[in-house]
Parts: sequence; C-alpha cells; structure tokens
Amino acid sequence: MRRTLLAVIAISAPLGAQWLHYPTPGIPRTPDGKPNLSAPAPKTADGKPDLSGIWSTADMKYLANLAADGIEVPFQPWAAALYKERRENQGKGHPSERCLTHGVTDFDALSVGWKLLQTPGTIAILYEAYNHYRQILLDGRPLPEPTQPAYMGYSVGHWEGDTLVVDSRGFNDIGWLDDGGHPQTEALHVTERFRRRDFGHMDIQLIIDDPKAYTKPWGPTLHLELHADEELIESICENEKDAPHMVGK
Amino acid sequence: MKRILVAVIAICAPLPAQWLHYPTPGIPRTPDGKPNLSAPAPKTADGKPDLSGAWSAMGIKYFFDLTADGTEAPLLPKAAALYKERLALLQKGHPSERCIGHGPTDYATLPAPRRFIQTPTMIAVLYESYNHYRQIFLDGRALPPVTQPAYMGYSVGHWDGDTLVVETTGLDERGWLDMNGHPQSETTKITERYRRRDFGHMELQLIIEDPNAYAKPWGVNLVLNYFADEDMIENMCENERDYGHLVVHGKEGK
Repeated sequence: MRRTLLAVIAISAPLGAQWLHYPTPGIPRTPDGKPNLSAPAPKTADGKPDLSGIWSTADMKYLANLAADGIEVPFQPWAAALYKERRENQGKGHPSERCLTHGVTDFDALSVGWKLLQTPGTIAILYEAYNHYRQILLDGRPLPEPTQPAYMGYSVGHWEGDTLVVDSRGFNDIGWLDDGGHPQTEALHVTERFRRRDFGHMDIQLIIDDPKAYTKPWGPTLHLELHADEELIESICENEKDAPHMVGK
Repeated sequence: MKRILVAVIAICAPLPAQWLHYPTPGIPRTPDGKPNLSAPAPKTADGKPDLSGAWSAMGIKYFFDLTADGTEAPLLPKAAALYKERLALLQKGHPSERCIGHGPTDYATLPAPRRFIQTPTMIAVLYESYNHYRQIFLDGRALPPVTQPAYMGYSVGHWDGDTLVVETTGLDERGWLDMNGHPQSETTKITERYRRRDFGHMELQLIIEDPNAYAKPWGVNLVLNYFADEDMIENMCENERDYGHLVVHGKEGK
C-alpha cells in the first residue's frame, strides 16, 4: 500500500481534477455522435500518419515497472544492486519528490494524458503531469553529441513506413526509467517506435539500450488510448514540500 | 544588490547554459548565410501569419516591473497594499521560490527563449524556463467558465487581420504579473496582441484588466526577437531547496 501511495504522489495528479469536456473538432464519429475509435488513423497533408491527439496508457503498471509483463531485465550487477535498494526504499529518492519530473520512458508509460502536436518539422508532446513538454525534431538533423545531460534528453525522429522511430540520447543519470527505479546512465539511448493502429489506438515499442546499466537492449510495448472530447488540465507540481515526509529506509 | 541576487535565483537559469547551435532549417538568409531578420513575415498554408519559431524578449526590465517605462498601474487600494508589501519583501514569496514557475505575462517578458508551435487550430508555447508550456486554442471555442484557476490560465486566440489576439482568463491568484509583484486575481483577464512585423521581430501588446485589482486596463508594449540557429535547452527548476535561504532584510527566510 505504501508503494501505491508514493506512486500517487509521484504522478502529481491533483485529486479534484476535472477535465474540461469540449468536443474535439474534426474527428470521426459514429452515428450516435461518439468518437469512432476504430476509424482509420488519419494522415497529414504530406501523407504521413498524423499522431496528433491526447494519449495515455490504460493503466499504471508500466509506470510502476517497465518490466511488468515478466520481462527479464538484463541488469549489470551494480544496476541490479541499485534497483534492489530503490525497491527496498519504496521509491524514496525519486526525482518527483522534488517535483523534478519524469523522463521519456516514464512519461510514455504514464496513465495521465499527454497531447501530441504534430507539425512537419517538429512534434511537441505536452504532458499534463508537471506541465512539462518534450520536443521531437523531424527535420533530419542528427542526434548531437550529448553536452548537457537532461531529464528529457534530445530526440530526433524519422518515418519508417507508417512507424515513427524516435531516437533519444543525452539523458542524465539522475532520472529513473520508471517509478520502480530501473536505473539509467548518461549512456542511455531510448528508441521509441510509435505506430497509430487506428484512430483510437497507438502502440509505442520502447527499446532501452544502456550498455553501462544493462547487458542488452530491453523494453515493453505500450498500448495507448486516445482521449477524445477532453482537454489537459494544468498540473504544476507543488509537492516539493512532501519530500521530507516520504517513507523509506 | 539583494534584489538582484534573489532575482537571479528566481529566474532559475543554469549558469553554464550552452545553447546548441544548429542552423534553423528553412528560414530566409542573407547572402552571407546569416538569418535575414528583416525579410517578410512568413504565412501558413491557410494564409495566416505564421508565428512559429523561437522568440526572446529584449532586456529584462518588464519581467521585473511591467511599469518599468514609468507607466502607472492603476492599483485599487487592496492591490496597492499587497504590491507595496511584496516590494518591501524584495520578491520573497514569489511562486518561483518553490519552482512553481510563471504565468503568461512574466513568461512573455522573460528574455529566455520560448518556441511557438503553430497549427491551424492551436498554438503551443514551449518555454525554456521551467520546461513549462502553454496552449492557445484557435479553433473558435469560447473561454470556458473559470472552474479551476491555473498559473497559465486558459487561452483562446483569434485573428484580427494580421494580429493574433489572445484572451486569457482562469488565472490563479497566487501568480504574480511580474517579479515586483503586481497582483493578479481570479478575475484577471489578459489580452495579448501579437503582430509579426517582419521575419525577425514580433510586437506584443499586453493588456491587463481586473476590476478587483485595477481601476482600468493597463499594460505594456514589447518587442520579441527571433531566436535563430539555436536550440532551447532543458531547464528544470531545481532551486526549490533555495527556498529556505532567501534573505529578507538581512534575516533568514522562513
């Protein structure tokens, strides 16, 4: 139960949250006016899949543990020890204690909605949680040499058929891959393969490649659902005052 | 000096910040390859002015004080008393002490870059500071009734000729309009009029209305400069631990 409590604090969702209901303009609907979630995935003017919309996973299990489906995590020994310590500490020490946010993998896995806004050269992802954002640059630039490690890293994307492949590097080693505490280092390279199956469903295959922490790449495939007719609400993290109250060793 | 120190903490800029240099694709350039900042302002496919790109406010004076040019904010008595108190406390109590960030007016006046991502139905403004964003809806929706006051409020925009007019309500009274502490309340309405004069320059007229805090509308005119060939860097606020160290009148902060 304690772990559950910590997770609730960590995602920083205001408890009284009421999403604004506003009919999303221009989306396919069934005859009764409901969003048609099994309609074909839309395309942009230049013929690429349009991933725009508000998305989230259906449940919290991958946020708590990216290996939730029984994936065997190929830890290096020091990473296994650190993970064990974080588990025993019930998540105490997660950056979110100090309102320091998530990174790419745990934001992907979050069941709180985020809005993907697609333009030809850039995708912006607006996270409800923390009111933070991330950019994915689609203008063909290479990944720069990491000079300033960051929670979100630096992301570039390209299309492989109908799949958007996003490569991210430049992460810091302060972030955690998930709330359970899978470690990351500055050598982390995350690949996300976004595929919008139909109007209402998108898969993200996550590949975590961090040779300093893991002996080989690993990761789950996340299943996301579209949130139609809703809006993001502001969720600025004010829980930094909770840090001294966190329970752990 | 004390005020300057507190302000430097409050804007939360990492000191060794290095922007990534990467040539912004597709922008007009002079024959020597530099961005042509006096080229005409671009248009979107549907013929509207395209405000996309990274922008930065010139100077920091309005960030500290929206009345820096000697305009007088028409403060009503209660707001005048609160403003005086905040000034006397050298900005102690500003939400940025706790890494809560800014709102539309003080993010607008900040020199740190912000990027506009424009689509036909919305603009997202991505702020380097605090890694925060804001949405401006252009799909014709009305401002909703205020049910959940927020630091960014709720913003809708429409085109008035070549000017984007953005109206914002639903603001949280805990936000400050500037670092000096001009108050805002849940009845504050902010109007922003954006006009991209040419490729490299955007005029922004800020109008503040609040019948509970100010006797009449007031505001300031700014110019934003295009921020070419550089990337925004990540700037997560980690200064919440400074909170206890803020100094007021030589005493330890509480």
